[in-house]
Amino acid sequence: MTAMPTTPPPAIRHYRAHSPLRRVGRGVALAVASVLFVGYVLAPIAWLVSSSFQNEREIISKPPHWIPDVPTLANFSAIFAAKDKAVTYETRKSADPASGGFIPSTATNLLPAMLNSFVVACAVVVLNLLVGVPAAYAMAKIHFRGRQASIYVILATRVIPDIALVVPFFLFIRNLGLLDSLWSLIITYLAVTVPFSVFVLVSYFESLPDELDKAARVDGCSRLQTLLRVYLPLARPSLVAVILFAFLASWNEFLLALMFTQTPASQTLPIIVASFTSDFTISFSFINAAGVLAIIPPVLLALVFERYIVSGLTAGAVKG
Amino acid sequence: MTSSAVGAATPRLRGALSYDERAALLFVAPLAAVLLAVAVFPILYSFYISLFSLKLTRPGRMPFVGLDNYVAVLSDPHFWLAVERTAYFSVLSVAAIAVLALLVALLLNEEFPGRRALGAILLVPWAIPYVANALMWKWIYDSNYGALNGLLYQLDFINSYMVWLGDADKTLPLIANAFVWKEVPLAAILLLVGLKTIPPDLHAAAKVDGANALRRFFHITLPQLTSAFSLVVVYETMMAIRHFDLFFILTEGGPGDASHVVAWRIYVETFRSLSFGTGAAMAYVLALATLALAYAIIRMLARRI
Repeated sequence: MTAMPTTPPPAIRHYRAHSPLRRVGRGVALAVASVLFVGYVLAPIAWLVSSSFQNEREIISKPPHWIPDVPTLANFSAIFAAKDKAVTYETRKSADPASGGFIPSTATNLLPAMLNSFVVACAVVVLNLLVGVPAAYAMAKIHFRGRQASIYVILATRVIPDIALVVPFFLFIRNLGLLDSLWSLIITYLAVTVPFSVFVLVSYFESLPDELDKAARVDGCSRLQTLLRVYLPLARPSLVAVILFAFLASWNEFLLALMFTQTPASQTLPIIVASFTSDFTISFSFINAAGVLAIIPPVLLALVFERYIVSGLTAGAVKG
Repeated sequence: MTSSAVGAATPRLRGALSYDERAALLFVAPLAAVLLAVAVFPILYSFYISLFSLKLTRPGRMPFVGLDNYVAVLSDPHFWLAVERTAYFSVLSVAAIAVLALLVALLLNEEFPGRRALGAILLVPWAIPYVANALMWKWIYDSNYGALNGLLYQLDFINSYMVWLGDADKTLPLIANAFVWKEVPLAAILLLVGLKTIPPDLHAAAKVDGANALRRFFHITLPQLTSAFSLVVVYETMMAIRHFDLFFILTEGGPGDASHVVAWRIYVETFRSLSFGTGAAMAYVLALATLALAYAIIRMLARRI
């Protein structure tokens, strides 16, 4: 069982339509289905992106302009130049007098929040690897007492809903004095993400031959050396998957950040973006620009690393 | 499960761990520490809290009330209304996810030019944050300038712009739609794996026997997909029951209390009423309900390890 199923089975040819008419019919059906599929997935995003390039006057047109007549970068420059142009009560409406929708003063917090998200996500990734890799190797390749029990514990922690942990998490973090710090997020995100990481890694390590292990041990490698020199280089696809999952989960997480963070010092991107959506006076096009910024990194990662993600998801969820 | 693990459990003196077992212990220790501190302990602590009347509006006093919080939660008709809404939201979502994901998986299981590009596009909804998903749909559903109104108006389905999320009858289905859009990719990937494991010989043989595509779908594809399907259904049900983000951004439980689901209720009870005892009790009820469901998923997954 390989954890990286990349080549499609050629056997599909067996039951492919043979007559030319049926082949055309199949082609048309596939084309229609593909268009519907792409429309369903991308139309909402296209509308989000299109709105983010519209000015205030345009975004309130009825019916909406699906493609902006006068595309503008004003919403993005408001975010990136927010530091230079302090938005105050007096100046905030000057962004656009037509609608009264304004650029919020909290626009300055968006870039620092992005940085917070990035720092937290990277820390969670590193900790996931440090904690997850040795444990996964031990569970997959060393037959120790309690191995089965530890797998059950990990599975169990994976299914506890995070909403059910809000109270103890909050008191725990508060008692540690970590409220409103990035550490509160790093610690809890680690706990939330590491079970899945271990799961993906265990299933990948198990798919690697045991003989490697024995050979390395015969050659005098310690367990640690066996892990570092033999298995780690081979496990690269699953490591990439684990890095991506931990990064995306941390980048996207909302509920825990909502509880623990209170000031821009620790607020992450989802928190700042969510705070825009609850303010009716903020320009829609500006909110959409913030939304676009929030989705760019995950979308890029997903497109570039599609293979790793798909194989990791299947390994982690159904174990190939 | 493995025979050697059983073999290792032969009687032995304490402290006389083999090299392998010491190594394993060392390797697993960091993970065990993390999970004990930040998963197992909070779960137990949560139960402990739920036995007290702990209100942050009344600091310093924390009387023991036994199971009173549970009695209060379970005898509150509003809680059961929230349970009903959660059930409605979940059933709606999971049904839609199952159907759409199956269609997507069937499409991606075919070989045709552009299939790989579609596979990459499929991951986009999965990858983006729920907060971005929520603001996107909030804007689409907007009653004044939203795309849904605009589209239906241009297509002449409606004569004037409508209120969408603000309509108590529509709000849960609309939130479910946003949820489904984001959850379909993962479900489709899991089903696609299931489809790939169906031996092509089965289809070939049925074809020789004269079964048409529809019959092959119902008599071969669907039965062979049973385990992938149950995995998807159980997993997505767990996700739907606990879902919070969309409710926070799209409606905050409104209009009125039309989208006041259990997850939202826990949040309000805990962080707006600051009643941690009852919040914890409610959370525990939800966790137990989820665990009961998860038991199925654990059994299914553990069989494969």
